[in-house]
Amino acid sequence: MSIEEQYRTRAKELLSGGAVKMVIGYGKGTTANRRRPLFISSPDEVERLVLDDVCITNLSGYLVSEGLLSDEKRVAVFLRPEGIRAINILAAESQLDADQIVIFGFDVNGNEVQALKGIHVEEFADVIGSIKEAAPEAAEEELFEKIEKMSPQERFSFWQEEFAKCIKCYACRQACPMCYCRRCIVDSNQPQWVNTSSHTLGNFEWNIVRAFHLSGRCVECGNCDRACPVNIPLRLINHRMAEEVLGAFDHFSGMSKTQEPVLASFKKDDSETFIL
Amino acid sequence: MAKIGVFICHCGENVGAKVDCTKLAAAMGEHPGVAVSVEYKYFCSDPGQESVKRAIRENNLTGVVVAACSPRMHEATFRKACAEAGLNPYLCEIANIREQCSWVHTDNDKATEKAMDITRSMVEKVKRNNKLQPIEVPVTRRALVIGGGIAGIQAALDIANAGQEVVLVEREQSLGGHMAQLSETFPTLDCSQCIMTPRMVEAAQHPKIRLLTYAEIESVDGYIGNFSVRVRMKSRYVDVNKCTGCGDCITKCPAKKISSEFDCGLGKRTAIYTPFAQSVPNIPVIDKENCIYFKNGKCKICAKTCQCDAINFDMPDTFVDLEIGAIVVATGFQVQNNTMYGEYGYGKYPDVINGLQFERLASASGPTAGKIQRPSDGAEPQTVVFIQCAGSRDPSKGVRYCSKICCMYTAKHAMLYAHKVHSGKTHIFYMDIRAAGKGYDEFSRRAIEEDEAAYVRGRVSKVWQENGKLMVRGVDTLLGRPVEIAADMVVLATAIIAQPDAKEFAKTIGIGYDEYGFYNEAHLKLRPVESSTAGVFLAGACQSPKDIPDSVAQASATASKVLALFSKDMLEREPVVATNNEATCAGCWGCVLACPYNAIEQKDIVDRSGRVIKRVASVNPGLCQGCGTCVTFCRSNSLDLAGFTEKQIFAEVMGL
Ligand SMILES: Cc1cc2nc3c(=O)[nH]c(=O)nc-3n(C[C@H](O)[C@H](O)[C@H](O)COP(=O)(O)OP(=O)(O)OC[C@H]3O[C@@H](n4cnc5c(N)ncnc54)[C@H](O)[C@@H]3O)c2cc1C
Ligand code: SF4
Ligand code: SF4
Ligand code: SF4
Ligand code: SF4
Repeated sequence: MSIEEQYRTRAKELLSGGAVKMVIGYGKGTTANRRRPLFISSPDEVERLVLDDVCITNLSGYLVSEGLLSDEKRVAVFLRPEGIRAINILAAESQLDADQIVIFGFDVNGNEVQALKGIHVEEFADVIGSIKEAAPEAAEEELFEKIEKMSPQERFSFWQEEFAKCIKCYACRQACPMCYCRRCIVDSNQPQWVNTSSHTLGNFEWNIVRAFHLSGRCVECGNCDRACPVNIPLRLINHRMAEEVLGAFDHFSGMSKTQEPVLASFKKDDSETFIL
Repeated sequence: MAKIGVFICHCGENVGAKVDCTKLAAAMGEHPGVAVSVEYKYFCSDPGQESVKRAIRENNLTGVVVAACSPRMHEATFRKACAEAGLNPYLCEIANIREQCSWVHTDNDKATEKAMDITRSMVEKVKRNNKLQPIEVPVTRRALVIGGGIAGIQAALDIANAGQEVVLVEREQSLGGHMAQLSETFPTLDCSQCIMTPRMVEAAQHPKIRLLTYAEIESVDGYIGNFSVRVRMKSRYVDVNKCTGCGDCITKCPAKKISSEFDCGLGKRTAIYTPFAQSVPNIPVIDKENCIYFKNGKCKICAKTCQCDAINFDMPDTFVDLEIGAIVVATGFQVQNNTMYGEYGYGKYPDVINGLQFERLASASGPTAGKIQRPSDGAEPQTVVFIQCAGSRDPSKGVRYCSKICCMYTAKHAMLYAHKVHSGKTHIFYMDIRAAGKGYDEFSRRAIEEDEAAYVRGRVSKVWQENGKLMVRGVDTLLGRPVEIAADMVVLATAIIAQPDAKEFAKTIGIGYDEYGFYNEAHLKLRPVESSTAGVFLAGACQSPKDIPDSVAQASATASKVLALFSKDMLEREPVVATNNEATCAGCWGCVLACPYNAIEQKDIVDRSGRVIKRVASVNPGLCQGCGTCVTFCRSNSLDLAGFTEKQIFAEVMGL
């Protein structure tokens, strides 16, 4: 039985037994290579679920939709390892109760889909641990290497050019499971710290603020990057921040549902190399 | 409409020489919302303050900016003046045009321009300032003194003798600290134990002092007047309530060959022991590492010997929770380990010892009962070489600073030696003789003139062993020639360093420290015994290397600070506290973790039927110290700090 079929069967069982009230998975999209999120609450609908190598969107963000989890009923969700890490962070930041989430874990290797064993987020600790170990290679990318080699001035102008394209649509924020604030800092206008108009300065402010808010939290799912209509390589900034916190504090985001946020926690043996 | 008064202070020449105050006053006078803009030589003077008050009354000012020195200097002064003129003190701000401008710039025109920016930015802030009312909090009248050396004991006694409660916490088994180890003390040569022991006993028996020995500070929370402190009582394995201090267990303990820490390795002790005969309290502890029972599961001879059934091998650590109003830190110092000087042979040749070891040799209660005997064979040394600054003033191998006491104690050692070994000869290598203090120069002169200590100005380059002698090679820089001395014993005046755990401990109590681990005073000249954390004071050698007179003086000074604090029923606290916007808070609890004062709690927002509809963060204004950490952390920008609101800071930045 293919993994797709296995998961459909499992979804059917869970929904018909009432163990979960909803399954969030992937359905067919408008084109052959596109999948769109699918929300089903009836066992009869499980045939619409698709699971293949183009299921890349991180669906964890839908779990924190206003009111979805407030009845304390369980919800099942299809997640890749990044999505599972996101559940840990959302739980650690009190946005959801991890026990309410039933995970349909999978990963894509080449174009082969593999099932990940486990139901609750704790059961994936080994999977997450091994990504942490492999982290440096994960983002090996030509552009990233190129930016790393630039002088600070060159890098600054590189990003200046990229951010100049930003149209402040906030699609990156809407797509990101970590951007769950009820009021984002850019929407706060007393005072208006971040300029709303999309000129270079305002764009810089916005993108840098977001990178800071995501440092130690971004799971590198790529939702923001794919959502950006003007193709700013947002994943690279976030990856760079992830490397920084890993190097400085040995903090890898989403390791466990009790992980303390790196910017709010203080350990006596934190390195002080960056304090002048 | 804002009516801001701008008062530009020349600070004598300090500001006036660099900043064109007339030009600054004129420019500020033009700024929208400024009703008065004047300059004066010293606004902090009486007539200066009077003129500010008059201006407030005459013009009905809604805010005041004093462009002058750092707010650390005179913010309080001017806020008080404003209050006296009927203006809420929090509507007064200082624009620092001295430390941040005139003192750091050379170009007058540019400095004037910058002063305008700084002042304008403050005017913009003050326009948005709100009236704030101070917060009143009660004071717990109980002091905690950490460290039972002479400094801690003095502070505890002074506070207790004024009728206030003290908890004195010492991590070793006994009170005493380093002074208990000393033989006789400069500059009067009175016996250290003889002057120390009565103090220790007095502290232990004082009805107002609660003594906790073999105890460590586990955590400190809260703030001035209202600290909560948790103390770990390390298990002694001896019940303090049953033990009578007879010492039978110590005599019988078969593990006798343990190197004594108190005697700096020159003597031996048992596994159940008191560090020295006059220990206070005189109750032994079992050293788990070396106890035969703890190692092999067999022995318990002490338990069988004890008539009072005081020994309990299963005794756990326990905790004591304390409510405290003020803290005196008196955790003292350590001597540096001299093994980094390979060329001096410390640690290699047994007869190369450090100053503290010499104290033990010279002490009547020491391992040799006060006879000067060299450690290797017990022979009386006939020639002794002392090497000063063995670690101090040596940035390459030791520490950069001067340890302050070594010149004096080396002179003392030379005297003690001369008094005990009449035929003996001393040579002292020194860089300078620093003998400033009452009776100090006379003391070191006496060592030279009466006790014939031969001072050689210069450094020692090498010590080696040859024909049963320690050969010391150095250079006499006054005569400009090399010297070589065959000695029987070499004493290193090793550097005074901070406690090895000083930095760690500073983080536990929340105070600052310098690069070496000595604790930072709030102001070296004007607030030398206060730490930068309100309600925490510093006494003794934990702040910098010190001798006994200085340690005691500083300890009494901390006591006076504590007593001043305890003289009030309520403390006025600055109303600079954080508030949370419950509507926008995302309930991530990042701020709860980030707050160093545990001032933020989780709060449930319930609907009419009592159902929780939302969880948000809530700041307890009694605990909040106004540090602003939470404000910078909060991603949704929900937290704001009274007195430094986002609006005010934004206006300040935009005013630049
Ligand atoms: C070789 C030598 C000779 C000296 N001779 C003289 C002299 O002749 N005349 C003179 O005036 N001065 C002399 N001094 C200096 C004198 O020893 C010091 O000035 C004095 O001991 C300082 O006292 P203190 O209480 O600050 O520190 P300490 O004596 O070091 O006492 C500190 C106490 O705090 C305790 N403690 C440390 N950390 C903690 C903690 N975290 N919790 C609880 N307790 C803690 C320690 O166990 C210790 O008991 C000499 C010093 C040396 C090294
Ligand atoms: S910032 Fe982008 S990559 Fe990171 S978690 Fe959010 S959406 Fe995913
Ligand atoms: S998605 Fe792209 S264009 Fe839109 S706000 Fe984000 S970075 Fe700017
Ligand atoms: S950090 Fe901000 S959003 Fe998070 S709980 Fe605190 S106030 Fe609320
Ligand atoms: S300002 Fe915020 S972080 Fe600082 S003490 Fe107050 S509540 Fe805590």
